[in-house]
Amino acid sequence: MKVVLENLTKIFPSRDKKAGKEVVAVNDFTFEIPDGQLVGLLGPSGCGKSTTLYMISGLQKPSSGKIYFGDDDVTELSTENRGIGLVFQNYALYPHMTVQQNILFPLQNLKGKDKLSKEEMLERAINAAKLVQIDELMDRKPSELSGGQQQRVAIARALVKMPRVLLLDEPLSNLDARLRLQTREEIRRIQKETGITTIFVTHDQEEAMSISDVIVVMKLGVVQQIGKPQDVYDDPKNLFVATFLGTPPINVLEGKVLDGKVYIGDEAVMSVDGVEDQNVYIGIRPEALEPATNGVFTCNLNNVEVMGRDASVVSSHKNSVNPVVRAIISSDIKVDTTVATVKYNIKPHKFFLFNKETEKRIYFEVKNNG
Amino acid sequence: MSTTTVMQERDIKQRTFIQNVFKALGKTGTYAFLLIMALIILFPFYWMIISSLKTLPEYRQAIPTFWPREIMWGNYSEAFKTANLGDLFMNTLYVGVVSTLVSLVITVLSAFAFARLEFKGKETLFGALLATMMIPGELFTITNYITVNQLNWMHTFTALIVPFLVSVFYIYLLRQNFMQIPNELYLAAKVDGTSDLKYLWKVMIPLALPTLISITILKMMGAWNSYIWPKLVANDPAHQMITNGLRNAFTDTTGQANYPVQMAAVAIVSAPLFLVFLFLRKYIMQGVSRSGIKG
Amino acid sequence: MVENKQQWKAWLYLSPAILLLLVFTVWPIFNTLRMAFLNGYGNMAAMGGATFQFGIDNFLKVIEYKKFLDCLKTTAILCVATVPISTTLALLIAVALNSIKPLQKTLQTIFFLPYVTNSIAIGMVFATMFNIVGYNPAEGIADTWGIINNVIEFFGGQPISWINQGSTYTANIAVMIVYIVWNALPFKILILLGGLQSINKQYYDAAKVDGTPKARVLTRITIPLLSPMLAYVIITGFIGGFKEYSSIIGIFGEKMGPPDDAGRLNTMVGFVYDALEKDRQGLASAGALILFVIILLVTIFNNRVIKKHVHY
Repeated sequence: MKVVLENLTKIFPSRDKKAGKEVVAVNDFTFEIPDGQLVGLLGPSGCGKSTTLYMISGLQKPSSGKIYFGDDDVTELSTENRGIGLVFQNYALYPHMTVQQNILFPLQNLKGKDKLSKEEMLERAINAAKLVQIDELMDRKPSELSGGQQQRVAIARALVKMPRVLLLDEPLSNLDARLRLQTREEIRRIQKETGITTIFVTHDQEEAMSISDVIVVMKLGVVQQIGKPQDVYDDPKNLFVATFLGTPPINVLEGKVLDGKVYIGDEAVMSVDGVEDQNVYIGIRPEALEPATNGVFTCNLNNVEVMGRDASVVSSHKNSVNPVVRAIISSDIKVDTTVATVKYNIKPHKFFLFNKETEKRIYFEVKNNG
Repeated sequence: MSTTTVMQERDIKQRTFIQNVFKALGKTGTYAFLLIMALIILFPFYWMIISSLKTLPEYRQAIPTFWPREIMWGNYSEAFKTANLGDLFMNTLYVGVVSTLVSLVITVLSAFAFARLEFKGKETLFGALLATMMIPGELFTITNYITVNQLNWMHTFTALIVPFLVSVFYIYLLRQNFMQIPNELYLAAKVDGTSDLKYLWKVMIPLALPTLISITILKMMGAWNSYIWPKLVANDPAHQMITNGLRNAFTDTTGQANYPVQMAAVAIVSAPLFLVFLFLRKYIMQGVSRSGIKG
Repeated sequence: MVENKQQWKAWLYLSPAILLLLVFTVWPIFNTLRMAFLNGYGNMAAMGGATFQFGIDNFLKVIEYKKFLDCLKTTAILCVATVPISTTLALLIAVALNSIKPLQKTLQTIFFLPYVTNSIAIGMVFATMFNIVGYNPAEGIADTWGIINNVIEFFGGQPISWINQGSTYTANIAVMIVYIVWNALPFKILILLGGLQSINKQYYDAAKVDGTPKARVLTRITIPLLSPMLAYVIITGFIGGFKEYSSIIGIFGEKMGPPDDAGRLNTMVGFVYDALEKDRQGLASAGALILFVIILLVTIFNNRVIKKHVHY
């Protein structure tokens, strides 16, 4: 089932009735989610991603715009008639019911020709439980489960009625780091197995990048960029997207373009074609910086952090927007830490220019390094 | 599991329509139920007020009127005189204010000791106090009646005030509130050489003010509504409390009494509580929901 | 040294409370027990130098006393009738209140109003609503039948003598049930609404996503999640019910019954006070202890039943 959002907008009235202004939580969101894909809505808190999810679920009503499931306009349809499954951030498992009762609950609500016999219900509940590998825990109460197990129960409960669309609100945020890694693979597997169009919300870019077919980056209610995770990472449309994706974050420096050369401070670090002279923000991915004695970009060396496979060269520059300029290199490469400065060469395909005012990406053609 | 959906092709429009009709019906039903219940709750108050303004003949009509034809404000002054409400007000106010003030001081000091000071047997003592809360008040009343008698407090305000000065429940409530204030504040104050009393006055009391206000209101309401104990120990005109006075002045609830005047008196007695409620609704409801006892 | 200072300071601050509690709370516990087991104890007589035998005469007398059994019966009937009615009504009102937005605060205030009334004063209002004025039994006519009877007549019923001369026990009890329920609603609504508002809204969203019908949400989600609060209002309701006294005085006056049958609606607390005022403190103490034990047993019983149904 594809899901289409058409000019979706949500405006919350101000809390303070007299003076305050209204809040635009989601602004003119248009997007078609293809059938059977796993889509991550990504952004910092308050970017409208959860509001979007809740509008798709029907728990919140859009101020304007339309939502289609397939060809059906479901905008006015209430939640229970949409045929969705929703996994809440804190799971919302009924504390007084066992795992089995929790999973059976949605099935017991079915009426008319959808009504199932007791045996059918039980069979479907067990199938759903098996899918998320909790069929051994059926008689436990939610309070007797770990966070990860609760999460699985919540997914089973959402899947058991075979929804047209599965929605997950911050599915991993309540899990510890190790479980998070494991669970996200699990979500990926379940989604592939069931083929249900799945939309999930997260503020963690790594989580979104690692399992989504498509990610939607949002900020302050406005969609910034939509695309395959790697495409968005490699080709950010603006400074926000560039800084939001990637760990460690992209290095951002103030600089200028003059006569086809990009300057950071006094150093010309890149020759570019087709860019007018102007002040710019420069984004350099940490993996694009290569320490080299003949490097074009000089920074003060702070220290080197070795983390197994990789090493992180921590340096600083007066034009840097971030506190440090960081380079990720293989830990095999030895960096001389006795000297005060480090020089880098820069890989051009991970080097971005952004307009100083609009923070939009400035596209350019690379002439040659240096 | 396949993508076969629970919801097959159905007329979305029809579904939307039915769903909206049900929603509207549900809302209407909810409001209708609440409004009817609210009318039932309010009716006695309405009946009290209109009855209090009727003439006796109008009140005694076979077909009731729902608004007095002739508004008899005179019923109120008559009620005031008949039940001697002025004196009753003063008596009740006196008992209420004195017992509230003294009770607050005792409660604050005890709660402070239990919340902040370390002493031997603290837990045991506190546990013992809480245990007394389980015993119904009637059990104490019997002996207290004798005690008051032997202390020669019969027919004095003292008898109305002293036995109820300490409420274990209020101590408990305030102690809980005090405990939420970090102990570091107290230690810091000690380091600065602040005295206990000054600390109590400057830090603890302002922070626990909502609880103290709740206690004050409940205590005043208690004085206003008390009936049994005053009836036992001080039912003479000079010390009579308002509820007792009201009940005594209109002994007959059935038969031929002058009901409009009776209702006027009830309205006068009820009015102060209503006013206090309107202004301090938040504190009263908070206090009640935590206390679970009728003031 | 600081420790020692805190010791005496603590006891100083506690001294007024402890002193008062010793006299008016601790001593009564022992003394009431003592009096209950001294046959026929009366305080005046005791001060006059009379001595009393240790024994259980007081308890036997209380139990044999027909009036006590009547009090027990009235109390029990009122309890058993009013607690379920008021709890159910309060639950429905609280759930309804919790589901609406406009007017919620206003209605909540209205539903709380009976709490801030004097139960004796408003009892007098209820009495006038049920009261028949100028009744002439010979001709079966009256000046006014009272507003409640007017309403009954409006719907085609026959007027009933609720609280007047010649009224039946059943009619009296019916009036008391109406009044007690009216009086008990605010507290229960307040507690239950507070409970409802503290239930995580997501459970309801989850139920909505699953298309759960309203009635099922109430029975399968709301009531189980509210069960601790329900348990609380039921237990306090029973305890309050067994101590019913002033609401009856409000309606019937100190006669505790219709004019032709004073004392008909007396309750256990009323019995205790009657005995106390007649200088039969032994009897009063025994009555109070029996009341205490009954309340204790009912509470334990309630707890047992509730434990089976309270879910967490």
